[in-house]
Order: sequence, then C-alpha cells, then structure tokens
Amino acid sequence: MWKMGGRGMIEVKDLTFSYGKEKQALHGLTFTVEDGEIFGFLGPNGSGKSTTQKILTGILKGHGGEVSLFGENILSVHTRDFFQKVGVLFEFPYLYTNLSGVDNLKYFASFYPRGQVRDVFELLEQLEFKKDFLKKPVSSYSKGMRQRVSMARALISNPKLLFLDEPTSGLDPSGAVLFRKIIEEERRKGTTVFLTTHNMVDADLLCDRVAFISNGKIAALDTPEKLKEKNSSHLVEIDYLYNGERQKRVIETRELEKGLPFLHEEVLSIHSKEPTLEDMFIQYTGRGLS
Amino acid sequence: MEGFLQLLRKDMKMILSGRFFLLAFLSLVLYSCYINFVYVKIEQENYHVYLYDPQNSFSGESEYLTEVNDRKEMEEACADRTSIGIDTSADIPEIYMLSSGIETTDHYRAIWAEAVLNGIKEEEAEIIGMYNKEEKSRREITAEFLFFELSAVGFLGLASVLFKEKQMGVIRVHGILPVSKFAFIFSKICVFLLSDLLFTVLLTLINVGVFDSFILLPGILVQAGVLSLIMTLTGFLCAVWLSDFKQFSLFYLVFAVFATTPVFLVGQMGVSWDFIIYHPMYHLFTAMKSAYFNKTSVSFPYYFTCIGAIGILFYMVWRALIREVAKEG
Repeated sequence: MWKMGGRGMIEVKDLTFSYGKEKQALHGLTFTVEDGEIFGFLGPNGSGKSTTQKILTGILKGHGGEVSLFGENILSVHTRDFFQKVGVLFEFPYLYTNLSGVDNLKYFASFYPRGQVRDVFELLEQLEFKKDFLKKPVSSYSKGMRQRVSMARALISNPKLLFLDEPTSGLDPSGAVLFRKIIEEERRKGTTVFLTTHNMVDADLLCDRVAFISNGKIAALDTPEKLKEKNSSHLVEIDYLYNGERQKRVIETRELEKGLPFLHEEVLSIHSKEPTLEDMFIQYTGRGLS
Repeated sequence: MEGFLQLLRKDMKMILSGRFFLLAFLSLVLYSCYINFVYVKIEQENYHVYLYDPQNSFSGESEYLTEVNDRKEMEEACADRTSIGIDTSADIPEIYMLSSGIETTDHYRAIWAEAVLNGIKEEEAEIIGMYNKEEKSRREITAEFLFFELSAVGFLGLASVLFKEKQMGVIRVHGILPVSKFAFIFSKICVFLLSDLLFTVLLTLINVGVFDSFILLPGILVQAGVLSLIMTLTGFLCAVWLSDFKQFSLFYLVFAVFATTPVFLVGQMGVSWDFIIYHPMYHLFTAMKSAYFNKTSVSFPYYFTCIGAIGILFYMVWRALIREVAKEG
C-alpha cells in the first residue's frame, strides 16, 4: 500500500501539452505519485498516456504546468544523475537485434556506475530467460523473450523510479504472472512504479492507485478497490441446486449476513456482481480501452 | 567519457557487422588498380588536322597535318567531331570543326589547329606546372576518387548504420540513458571521420607515392576531414529525417545527380558551366584538388563557411535526434 503523507516521487499540476498549434494532447493533468507506490495510468490508445510518460522521462519538452520528480522541478532534473535513478520499459522491445541478449544488457549497463548495476545473468534467470538463447542474437528471439530482455534492461540499474509501458504485452499468461511478481518485488524494495497500460488485469492486481485518462484529462483517480466500491451494486449471484435442479439467484450482500435467504440443497458457486475496473473506466470516460 | 567510449565501441561493432570497412577496402583496391593499371597508362591521341589549301599558301611541314583536295573532303574528315579542318581558300584562314559538345575541348582543339598551322616549336612550350604527366594524372584522379568516396560512399555508410538503429528502435533507448545526445552523435562522427582519414592516407600513399604523400598529406587530411564531417552529418540528418531506406535511396539518387554529378562533369570531363561557382560541392572539390597539388589557394572565407556549415549541420542533427527519440514506436 502507498504511504500516506510520504514525499511525492512525482508531482504533476495542471500539465498541458500540444503537438503543434491545434492538437492539444494533455488538458491540465494533476496527480501525485508517492514514493514506493505502484501508480497505474490507464487509458485507451491516443488518450495521452505515452505523452505524459515521455514528459516525465524527459523525452518530450515544451509542456505547460508544473512537474516535479524526486522533489525537484522537471526542468532541472533531466541530468545524468536523474537517468541513473530511472528505469524505462518501452511498449516495444527496443534492442540491438544483431547482438545477444547478454551483450545488449552489458552494453546498456555500461552507462551506469558499476556499483549500481545488477548481475546480468542473475537478472535473466529471475526473468526465466531460456539459457540456450543467452548468447544467440536477439533476431532469433520470440516476442516474449525480447520483452524479458527489455524488462531486464529497465531493471539492470536498480532504478528508484520505474516507468513501465504495457509490461505484459507479448507475454503468455505464465510470463504475465512472472512479470507481475517481479513488479511486486520491486515495490517491496521501495521502487516507485509508474505503470502505463490499458490492461485492466495488470492494473487491478498491481496498482495501489489508478488514474483513468481519456482525451488528455484525468476522469478518475483512486485505489482500484474504492473505484469499484463506489459504484458497486452490492449484489452477489448464487448458483445452487434445489429439488435436483440448477438454479440462480441475485441477492444483496447484506442478506448473506444471516445465511442464504432461500431454500437450497447445495451451493454451486457465488459470484460478486461488483463492477470490474474496465466497467468503471467505461462509466467514467464513456469509452472502452482498446 | 566512459559512456562516450562505450558508444564508440558499439558504433565500431555496428559498422563492422554492416561490412562497411569491407566495402571501403574494396573501393580502395578498385580505385588503386584503376589508377595504376589503367588511368596513368592512358595516352590521348593528338587531334588530326586537315588542311584545304588550293593556293598552296602553306609552305611548312607537319606530321600532324594532312592535306585534302577539296572542301567536301575536309568536311567529311572532320565528321568524327575530334578532327579539325583549316580552309585557306579565302584571304583569312578559316578553322572548321564540329563541336565535341564540350566548350573547353573545342577551345583547345582550335588552339591546337592554329599551333599546327603555325608550326609547333617544342622549345617555345610554356611550363605551367612542376609535375610530369604521370604525377599530374595520379594526383588528379586520386583527388577525384577521394572526393567521390567521401561524398557518396561515406554518406551512404553512416545512413545505413543509422537506419538499422532506427528500425531496431534503440535510438529511443538512448534518450533515457545517462549519456548525452551529443555523445551519441559525436561517437558516430568520430568513427566515420577516423575511417575516412585512414582511407585518405592509404589511397594517397598507394597512388601518389610515399615521399610525395608525406608532403601533401597534412593539407589533404584537412580537406578530407572537412568533407567527411559535412557528408557524415548530412547522412545522419537524412537518415533521421527520412522514414525508411527506400525514401533515402530516392534522396540519394537526387543528391548524386544534383550535388556530385555537376562537379564531376566540370572537374573531370571539362564541361564548362558558369553556375558551378555557386555550387558548394565544387568548392570542396577544388580545395581537395588543390591540396593534392600542394596549392594554398584555399582562403579564409572557405574555412569560415565550412566550419559554419558543420556547426549548423550538427545543430540540425541534434534537433532531429531529439525529435526521433520522442516519436511513437
């Protein structure tokens, strides 16, 4: 859970940005990411997620409003020291395809102080990278393997602030579970994670707080639980057997406190009718996530 | 500094894997073979002069002169566009020739015909240079090949490396690494500059001779350095600006046609175009040639302009790189 009253790792106030004179991408975003928090930035393609991340990582200049990272104004933080404290995973696995995964990591690690860098082989083992491919060129890797090497690149410098753009994209279900476990481990180490995604499962399972962004505006910002709770109908759906027949009934959750308020022989399943994060997103923004 | 050395090492690896050095080595072998086995052995025949002299007014003799019986025969002999006719049937002798298409060549043909008619005296020949024919040929063609190599092939070399990095998307990764964008640009320029200078030294040593090269190389290396920097930065800019290698190939074709071909035609083929003095590549070409003939005719404005151009190109490359890093995947 994020630390209440902790120092803001990222503080954004009235952030605006335009591509050219007519195409305004961000319309006054305001949010704070606390130290050690996993903050989810959720929105469909073209909503302004990547633009925000690019501004925060110093790739994109010329924004309006106030932004501070590590307690300092963004205009003065994008120095060598700043990039030594930050790890970025891009949406696509950008790697030298003519080099092996190990050589890629050794090359990217060479820009950081030696004492800060993690062991390449240990890191790849943690990411369950196939050993047979360690020395093979990246051009022979599957998408999932490339994503693992890219994640290793983002983590190799032991960053204090981690920007992850669609981290589980291109991974099979077990790979996605592994990546979530690794992100959780990073949080336990005290790393702040800024997670940009439109994957609601990742956001729901990982994030301490999420911001819904649509058309360059934040439509809602809270913990996933609270967002769902606020809009919950407090209903449960129960599947049961009665007189040898399968039956279904929807009741209010408070009715459960005194046991099931109807006759039954066997309860087959109980499902919460709580809305999903995606339902909430659609409710707040009026559009889907794809 | 350490980050810069890492970039330098990586760029060297990229160029090696792209077989750029192999291409440069093959060019060196090809140019040297052509210069030593073909170009220096080319002997140009003198232009034939045909004389129609019905009044027998010409009394001298010349091995270069062939007398014809009538005007028609003279005109037929000159139909090859290299031979020259002299018609003395009128009071004032008339020079007759069909244009070769190159104004300078026609001018030399007319001078030659006049000299043949007046009788050539070897001792009257004016010495206009300190080099024998072979020395002149070697320096001239080496300068031209070097100019071609640096302006066309070097330009292509950097672009091909950069397009690979662009396709892999790794340029964007450098935007979030603790290394400056200046270092990213500078390392690439350094690798290609060093490679071009090494090429210059080898090409000059092999084709001009070791002793002469030691005298000429300081001046040649300065010109090669200027040309290499300008072309490498231009290649960098194009590779970042243009979206794919297909577009770049088209641009390269246009560049070759409009930027280097006029210079080559004026410099090597003797084509005369007044506008050529406004062509920036022409000045780089003549500076390179002057360096091979140990002339110090290159002036302060030339160097001032070159340094300014390099500075502007570097700034444009830096801006283009920032834009490229911020692009979507």
